[in-house]
Amino acid sequence: MLTLNPTTDTTALVAHALSKQYGETPVVQDVSFTLNFREILGLLGPNGAGKTTIVGMLYGGVAPSRGFVQLGSTQVQSDGRTARAKMGIVTQEDNLDPDFSVFENLLHFAHHYRVVGKAARKRVGELLAQVRLEEHAQKRIDELSGGLKRRLVLARALINHPHVVFLDEPTTGLDPDARQEFWKLVIDLKQQGCGVLLTTHYMDEAQRLCDRLLLLQQGQVIDQGTPIELIDRTIGKEVVEIEGVDEATLQALATQFNTWCRPFGSGYLLALPLVPTPLWDHLVAAQPQRLTRRYANLEDVFLRLTGKVLE
Amino acid sequence: MKRLSATPWGVYSVWHRHAKVYQRTWLVNFLPPVTEPIMYLIAFGFGLSPLVGDITYAGQPVSYLRFIAPAMIAIGVLFQSFFEGGYASFIRLNFQKTWQALLTAPLSFTEVFLGDWLWAATKGMIAGSLTGLVAVIWGLYSPLNLLLSLPLMLLGSLLFGAMGLLTAGSVRQIDQINIPIFLLIIPMFTLCGTYFPRETLPPFLHAIATVLPLSSMIDLLRWNLGLQPYWWLQLLWLITLMLIFVSLAIRKIYPQLVK
Repeated sequence: MLTLNPTTDTTALVAHALSKQYGETPVVQDVSFTLNFREILGLLGPNGAGKTTIVGMLYGGVAPSRGFVQLGSTQVQSDGRTARAKMGIVTQEDNLDPDFSVFENLLHFAHHYRVVGKAARKRVGELLAQVRLEEHAQKRIDELSGGLKRRLVLARALINHPHVVFLDEPTTGLDPDARQEFWKLVIDLKQQGCGVLLTTHYMDEAQRLCDRLLLLQQGQVIDQGTPIELIDRTIGKEVVEIEGVDEATLQALATQFNTWCRPFGSGYLLALPLVPTPLWDHLVAAQPQRLTRRYANLEDVFLRLTGKVLE
Repeated sequence: MKRLSATPWGVYSVWHRHAKVYQRTWLVNFLPPVTEPIMYLIAFGFGLSPLVGDITYAGQPVSYLRFIAPAMIAIGVLFQSFFEGGYASFIRLNFQKTWQALLTAPLSFTEVFLGDWLWAATKGMIAGSLTGLVAVIWGLYSPLNLLLSLPLMLLGSLLFGAMGLLTAGSVRQIDQINIPIFLLIIPMFTLCGTYFPRETLPPFLHAIATVLPLSSMIDLLRWNLGLQPYWWLQLLWLITLMLIFVSLAIRKIYPQLVK
């Protein structure tokens, strides 16, 4: 299993000023970050924010226009094969082998890591147990549900006991139960010492799983921090969703109480100031059709920073 | 650059994956295509032999069956390696995303490409050798001839496999694979001296047919009946074409995988 020296080995991977341009169009601009062991780092952003391109640059599937990725002593851009031997990669697309059973998918993929024969069969058994797929070992791929397929792709990424694992939108399209199951596996990986990088456009997934987040918009990091930090710093504690009151009235109230207001769905979102104010009473007095007071979340952070909701 | 480097294990591992898929589905994938050139040999051999009798090839009278046997070996090589490189690799690249999955393992692009190419060549070799074996059993080609022709069959398999991979890398929709099939493969199959000596064609067609690589391949496989005076040029032509097609195929496929 993975052995780490907790005093010296804290940094799993460093991305240095990654940029990617297709023709004249910049897709990723100057993105730098560090991924530590025993940490889940989230890239959160809407579709088209450049999350998948960044993951591609991390393992060598996308050649950066500028910048590089360092994994221990290996630079991904000059020696991708060596780097990938220490990485686990779960891409967004489902690319399991439809001609093989669940067991064979893992067995034949282990061959690429020079894990063969008895050792390969043993490792496949361990992986099936780890992702709780033992009873499906002999099934064909088209007999698996979406959630089981994602678990198999994860198992395939773990063959070589990787120190870092990339999960590119791993739960997109899964039902709530399957997402919960997958989240448990991701938390297990972190507890085993892996550095996990996860891209998502699900706010609840980011909030629930990630120790740190990079918020992305149009290929740029617009803010970063722990989910709590980001919410506290950008929003505060509570927000109000309100419908049936005109924008001018709300903007005037926002200015008066030194807070902000944004269009949100069919109504508006207002942050409640941290210090007690009579803002709430004013809103009630405006007789809205709908008025909801709730804790702020990452979706509100995104709305505040970009003016857009996460797709 | 290290990312373009290849280790024997990496190439073998990709080839091994394709072989394992083939092993699983061999009854479906193996028998019909391999029987194709053998059926041609039997059908044209029995059907046309009584009508044609002997043929004059390289100044010598040759029985019709002995004339077409080497061509059927070449047809087996052509069809199997081209279709594996073209059709099957297109599926692996665009539908099953096998190439993309392999590139998340510690494999370089070169290893994945070479593994695919060698697999296409392997399929050509299987079909060519089995057709050759039937010809040997039938007494149309000596076992020694077949053995000595193996390197030539490998060259043909690599060439037609590379043509297939260039097709896989160039077409955007699966139906477009028909374009090289109808513009190149079928004309080669019919005109390159397979069923009749090319000399019977009008000069213009004769010139075109001679340039097509299957002609060189078939002429060289008929070495036991006599070689063309420019046989070494034909060999050089096949090698040159193979290098051209494989470098074009790499240029087409690499940008689709490493963006």
